Amino acid sequence: MSRRRKWLLLLIGLMIVFIADFPIITVAVNSFRTTEDILSSQNILPSQPTLANYFYINTRTRFWTFLLNSGIVALGSTCLGIALAALAGFAMSRFRVRGLRCYNQALLIVQMFPLILAIIPLFIFFRQLDMVNNFIPVILVYTTTQLPFSTWMLRSYFDSIPRDLDEAAKVDGCSPLRSFAQIILPLAAPGIAAVGIFSFLFSYNEFFISSVFLRDESRMTIPVGIQSFMQQYSTDWGSLMASATLAMVPTLILFLFIQRFLMSGAMAGAVKG
Amino acid sequence: MKSYQKPSDLDKSLSYSGASPYQGQVRSFRQAPGLSAQNLPYLLLLPSVFLIFVIEFYPFITGVLYSLHKGTLLNRGAFVGLDNYIHLFNSTDFYHSLYFSSVFALSNVLFSYLIGLGLALLLNLDFPGRGFCRVALLIPWIVPAIVSIVSWKWLIADRGGLANIILQTLGLGPIYFLSQSGWAMVAVIVIKIWRSFPFMMLTLLAALQVIDRTLYEAGKLDGANSRQLFWHITLPHLKNISIVQAILMVIWSINDFETPYLLTQGGPSNATENLILLSYRYTFGRNDVGRGSAVALLTLVFLMILATLMLRQQRSVA
Repeated sequence: MSRRRKWLLLLIGLMIVFIADFPIITVAVNSFRTTEDILSSQNILPSQPTLANYFYINTRTRFWTFLLNSGIVALGSTCLGIALAALAGFAMSRFRVRGLRCYNQALLIVQMFPLILAIIPLFIFFRQLDMVNNFIPVILVYTTTQLPFSTWMLRSYFDSIPRDLDEAAKVDGCSPLRSFAQIILPLAAPGIAAVGIFSFLFSYNEFFISSVFLRDESRMTIPVGIQSFMQQYSTDWGSLMASATLAMVPTLILFLFIQRFLMSGAMAGAVKG
Repeated sequence: MKSYQKPSDLDKSLSYSGASPYQGQVRSFRQAPGLSAQNLPYLLLLPSVFLIFVIEFYPFITGVLYSLHKGTLLNRGAFVGLDNYIHLFNSTDFYHSLYFSSVFALSNVLFSYLIGLGLALLLNLDFPGRGFCRVALLIPWIVPAIVSIVSWKWLIADRGGLANIILQTLGLGPIYFLSQSGWAMVAVIVIKIWRSFPFMMLTLLAALQVIDRTLYEAGKLDGANSRQLFWHITLPHLKNISIVQAILMVIWSINDFETPYLLTQGGPSNATENLILLSYRYTFGRNDVGRGSAVALLTLVFLMILATLMLRQQRSVA
């Protein structure tokens, strides 16, 4: 391919990136403009950049509470999910017994299950236990919805660790659980970290389940908090944009960590598919 | 006590691990009744199975029961048989949300696939900065839904929104995107496509990169032009992953709550209300758990019909 054509392709690529990411760029840029400035049709770029929106969020809203709540929910479901998925993934990677295929199909059903179907009875159930506005139901639902993906991913990471290592450990007198804990888990650590970040991102970004269970302002996660803010002050674009910008900072940072795994994971899927 | 009699792996480990710091732990494994190499895999699955049972299977069964009762969030209410379903089959709301869910899912699959495929083909070419482009193009998919919706809501706002400012400078009248049914439906669908195409792009790009390069060289030697190479080598290799992606995307679109809810809350006057939003409105808005559950169950049935049809399609193509 000629050099000129390569640079042309880069130019096209950058233009597409700009168009595709335009709404995201808009949020970040507008967060430094006052609402009046955003609504005035004179200019698209900030005429006088200001941090006023961020000061407003810091002092007048409970954004940091929302962030903390999001952190608790996401971390809780990630840890629980990784623990469960690692055990199940180990079973699926190293054992050949009846029932494992059946479990695999069950995961497939979990993957496509309409959550609304579970949410109605779960809401009634946890309400009877007086657990609305409690993080536990949310963490449990997130963990469950994540299980298929985490289990499949961890299983494929475990599959990539040679079985010879297990055999050697067995000869040295290692129980299956011990060789799992001391050999397989440490070797799969990068994969576990990647799956963990995925699962954290999913829980951090999720809106629906949180909005059903976490109704009290002191318990809201970031998406629910911003949504309630949007309903109350639908035209306060400046503060909305600033809170949205802050909300996506953790997402973007974590995403940069896993984007490499994303491609290799998709390739593994492509080979199997 | 089978585990005491059989020389299982655990027993073996005990006899060899005289100096091991884990000896106590191993002993306690051995004493746990029923823990042997045979049922170890089942024990490993147990926590996951338990959670799936509590969080999805049990609610599913109770959901079926709720749909046969006229209940509220506070009490189950009287058994009414299939009344809730009969009511739904006679209501325009239900047919409208069925229609909107279908249009939403089909247009999302079609357009996110076409855009995703185009971009995957572009990113599969060798040019400087394509790694950056790939990462940057995934951002619409990875950011929280609420962030995208805040942004889009401003872009298409009636007053002061960018789209209407541009229309104004072009001398065109303002379009009230979110208060006219037709435009609201278009807006919800376009934003969903914008949130979905990166995933299509990612999986299709991955599939493109594992195609054996020598196939193209062989094709070129046989005198095929680039269009023929695309139709006879690239597309056939993408077939399986495309069908899997299409099925997943249909499922995810039908189950989508966030995009329409955050953007329009189903409005104006139910125009953008899909099946999930309808179920949500019945249950939490009208406190009618019976009808809400019935809609949710019909959604599952609808999904399963669609998935079966698409899988059958896959087999007939293959």
